[in-house]
Amino acid sequence: MTLEWIRFAIAAILIVLGLCSFGAAVLGVYRFGFVMNRMHAAGIGDTAGIFLVIASLAVARGPQMDTLKLIVLVFFLWFTSPVSTHFLGQVEYYTNPVLRKYVKRAGKTAPKAPEQAKAPGQAKAPEHPGKGGDNAAD
Amino acid sequence: MTVEKAYQILYGGALIVLILLIGAMVIRSIIGPRSTDRILSVNMLGTMTICSIAVLSVLLDEGYLADVALIYAMISFVAVLMMASMFVPSRPKAPELDEETAAGNEKETE
Repeated sequence: MTLEWIRFAIAAILIVLGLCSFGAAVLGVYRFGFVMNRMHAAGIGDTAGIFLVIASLAVARGPQMDTLKLIVLVFFLWFTSPVSTHFLGQVEYYTNPVLRKYVKRAGKTAPKAPEQAKAPGQAKAPEHPGKGGDNAAD
Repeated sequence: MTVEKAYQILYGGALIVLILLIGAMVIRSIIGPRSTDRILSVNMLGTMTICSIAVLSVLLDEGYLADVALIYAMISFVAVLMMASMFVPSRPKAPELDEETAAGNEKETE
């Protein structure tokens, strides 16, 4: 009986950590002002969050066939999350004129790149360049 | 007996927290100013939905819900790729450069 409670404690700690990871991801998606930064925040939930939650479920479930399915699910998400994040970065690169301006300035003069790095993130949120699809907010 | 009750309370609370986070991501996908914000929010929402289905499979002790979560992961991945590929041209070119930097910068951006 004590062993069962130890297993429950491990599962509880893991799932609380996983939910904290998801909370950190959602908080980052709300607080950051630029899409690239938001991708960074969303990556926490896609990797650490799902791993910790599924680890908790695997501990609670014990060695069964369903546990193997859940582990396969984690590995599938670990492989597909970078692909979709890379693709989203590509979309942002092709549809955002402000980002293009930053890219060509950074390529022109290398020492000025750190100053320019702040410019898109801060100047971007009010501007919302209209070329990128459905800008319903404007 | 009591351990099972504790597991039910734990995973029920986890489901409630996940529902709140999913609602937050739905609001984010509505107010997201650019289309990439919305796609990112939908991706995040799909991940948390997969997580809640997996929690539900252990809470209800139903093995087939793990299969449902696996299929949902695949469909969510394909959906995000399709939504993103609407905005990328099929033969993407390098972005336009202005006159002065076009010569020096052409190799890097292509």
